[in-house]
Amino acid sequence: MRIRLYGRLADAIAPEVHLAAAGCSVGEVRELLAAEHAAVARSLEASRAVIADSFVGEERIVGESEKLEFLPPVSGG
Amino acid sequence: MSVTALLEPQALDPQLELAELTEAARGDGAIVTFVGLARPESSSGEAVDALVLEHHPTLTRQSIEDIAVGCAERFDVSHVRVVHRCGTVPAGEPILFAGAASIHRRAAFDAVDYLMDRLKTEAVFWKREVGDDGTKWIEPTEADLVDRKRWG
Repeated sequence: MRIRLYGRLADAIAPEVHLAAAGCSVGEVRELLAAEHAAVARSLEASRAVIADSFVGEERIVGESEKLEFLPPVSGG
Repeated sequence: MSVTALLEPQALDPQLELAELTEAARGDGAIVTFVGLARPESSSGEAVDALVLEHHPTLTRQSIEDIAVGCAERFDVSHVRVVHRCGTVPAGEPILFAGAASIHRRAAFDAVDYLMDRLKTEAVFWKREVGDDGTKWIEPTEADLVDRKRWG
């Protein structure tokens, strides 16, 4: 699945990553990413998850063709 | 009544934005505006060459619109106009134009105050300052968060 990251997460990891995580929930994907990128685990924890421009909860299963986005806490304007 | 919320990737001209708002506000008695500028110095005193505002392709503009609509619903204003830069803004250049028009001045002052407090904490941007010392991510300050709470 495609994962899009923003802000300091994109800076530390990459703007976009591909993860072989078919059938995983948002929470499980978050945990996988945090385990791989411990330096930004706290930012990942605090990030909101988005699929198709809607905020989604931790239990939401992410389809293989879907794009999951993690939005870290915003800076404001 | 009109609400305008725009995300501007190019240079922002506050005079043009004021002219648009003034044109819309015929019949009103007051216009209050705020223009935010990219600071040439960080909060810790380092020189800043530019501010980079990263944004989400859809949710950023939506967040600005939600705030502008919330403002129009809350205050007795006839027009609300918010234009926000995204991308790289050189130090000294405008980042934001926020304005409101109303029959009487107080509602317009309050509306713009409200707009700014919400934009500073809720608009979907990730900002970083770029200078000789590299790049530094910016978070809302404690004062920004306290200001936001004034509006419930």
